[in-house]
Amino acid sequence: MPPSDESRQSAEVVVYRPDNSLRRGYFSLWGDIVRELVRNRWLTVQLVKRDVGAFYKQSLLGIVWVVLIPLITVGTFVLLRSSGVVAVGTMSAPYPIFAVLGVAVWQLFAQGLVAGASSLAMGGDMLTRINFSKKSLVIAAMGRTIVSFAVLVVLVAACFVFYGFRGYDYTPTLGLALAPLSLIPLLLLTLGLAFYLALLNSIVRDIATMLSVLVTFLMLLTPVLYERPVVSNDAGGIASALSAITEYNPLYYLVSAPRELVLSGQVADVGGYLIASGFSLGVFLVAIFGFHLTETRIAERV
Amino acid sequence: MRDGRAISIERVSKKFCRSLRRSMIYGLGDVTRNAFGIRSRSEVLRPEEFWAVDDVSLEIERGETVGLIGPNGSGKTTLLRMLNGIFWPDRGEIQVRGRVGALIAVGAGFHPLLTGRENIYINAAILGMSRSDVDRNFDAIVEFADIGDFLDTPVKHYSSGMYVRLGFAVAAYSEPDIMLVDEVLAVGDRGFQVKCFKRMGELREAGTTFVVVSHNMHTVAGFVDWVALLHDGKLERFDNVFDGVQSYSRLFLGDGDETIEKLTSGGQGVEFRDVTVSSQKLKPGGSFSLSMSCESREALEDVEVDIAIYDTRDPDLYHQATNSAFGQRVDLPAGKSSLEVEIGPFQLHGSFAKVAVAIWTRGRKESIFWWRIPLELLEAPHAAGKNLVPTSFRVKAAE
Repeated sequence: MPPSDESRQSAEVVVYRPDNSLRRGYFSLWGDIVRELVRNRWLTVQLVKRDVGAFYKQSLLGIVWVVLIPLITVGTFVLLRSSGVVAVGTMSAPYPIFAVLGVAVWQLFAQGLVAGASSLAMGGDMLTRINFSKKSLVIAAMGRTIVSFAVLVVLVAACFVFYGFRGYDYTPTLGLALAPLSLIPLLLLTLGLAFYLALLNSIVRDIATMLSVLVTFLMLLTPVLYERPVVSNDAGGIASALSAITEYNPLYYLVSAPRELVLSGQVADVGGYLIASGFSLGVFLVAIFGFHLTETRIAERV
Repeated sequence: MRDGRAISIERVSKKFCRSLRRSMIYGLGDVTRNAFGIRSRSEVLRPEEFWAVDDVSLEIERGETVGLIGPNGSGKTTLLRMLNGIFWPDRGEIQVRGRVGALIAVGAGFHPLLTGRENIYINAAILGMSRSDVDRNFDAIVEFADIGDFLDTPVKHYSSGMYVRLGFAVAAYSEPDIMLVDEVLAVGDRGFQVKCFKRMGELREAGTTFVVVSHNMHTVAGFVDWVALLHDGKLERFDNVFDGVQSYSRLFLGDGDETIEKLTSGGQGVEFRDVTVSSQKLKPGGSFSLSMSCESREALEDVEVDIAIYDTRDPDLYHQATNSAFGQRVDLPAGKSSLEVEIGPFQLHGSFAKVAVAIWTRGRKESIFWWRIPLELLEAPHAAGKNLVPTSFRVKAAE
């Protein structure tokens, strides 16, 4: 039954007017954002279920697809490395474990970014006809990515078992337990960028198309499939360029820290990781705030 | 906003852009401005923009049912979306008390591969229901949708009727304080429509406020307390529903044309001269006559006079019959004669009609007369609908 008469009396009044958010002041907006996220938890979960459920029902090969693409990527690099075309650096773990682990973490960023960026544009009809939390839609887009990641973790475990039989001596450390937590900054960065790109993509559709090309390029620039390049000081110009890019690339720290925690139990460059994490948190906060200020424009343009 | 009020719309306007490319550029500009906390200056029109809703004010009390009517493109849907918070006004202010539900896009957010059961939960969540709301109403929703054994079948295997029924059922049980309805009462078969009206009646009984957009004046006349007529983005309130419905109908009459189309006025050896039309404006129940003097070289026996009447707003044929339908034979003698045709009484009212009169020689060998005459059919007060069927009322005291 509909709410009783008493509860109607006290029902909350919502006001819509131009530049409403600006009149209310920035601090009250943070309260609004948090309240909205909390109130829409169930919606977010339902949207994840919709996305994940549909994906795995649609393709019999659902899980196979998730595993196949990273395997092909890693397989290509294994081939390039063993034929001496590329140098990937030296590492303690077998290269395939190193690479699969890196790709799994990278996918969390790359897939999440693409899915999040296209979430609003994909929602089309729903957005223009029903008023619901658009933040939930972007957040829910991360759901399928996280499920894919879980599948890849199984693949990683399989690699460990395989190489364990072949003599790879691995002893789990406390760092392994911290590895899942160390993914949080990467997720925040992904979500933050996804908020902004989703907004842009709902207005200009070219964004999502460009993005899938861009993330592939970014993966090659980031030490995901190779070790951080070590360049001696006297090597000049071009040779040190990649090293310099890596140094200022927050993705490097965010991707390699979880991997290092799994493989060796400790992060090589803790300072870099902390700075990158702070940067991610900043991006996330600015993005969700900006999204909140502008999301009412979305339905008009989708 | 006063306590008993559900919706208050104060001098609200909304603009849109005609050009897609500019719309994208403006969109980027607005988003950037908003993101940096700069005022959008939304009250100013930029090139290619226009006001879809223009300076509209409206107060709706709690528990009222209001009909929002107007021609296509008059801004009804835009206003409804602003009430729902999907679009924000560019000028003015809207206040809404309580939870707003929408019977607008029924089944929006349904995923074709998921089952009816899964989709009920997802759709309900999108419509703003909580988990406990859905659990409590789940059986009622399934019962209302009447999808039987298909509950655990992916909705892509549903018939379109089942799909719509399920969507409607979820929305109908979303228990809002204010329900926005956009032309969805036309869904499903008769049985389902009756169910929908019953459910809406229940919600009204419980105090839900309704804003109903419809082109179906029957729905409007029978369901709402008062109407708001939108035309070119402007709004006018009618406390008397029939006055509103008539004003709405009148919007379509303005473009009436009184020119008679004279397609044929004679044939081989016959000519019609001095045709007089009694009147091109008819009161409800009035008749219309045509007097045609003709001159024929020889007698034309058993000609066929075919009369068709169209409502100009509706392509459906309203009436078509020849003189044979009335058991009458028409013979035109040689020389001068005059043929009188009387049509009516008309039951069609409040509309524009065209009367086509065609005369053929026997066996439809030759068309010797064909005119199309526009008629304005004045409207009867306190009546909606196209036909005015003569009706009488009598009260007898019980013995």
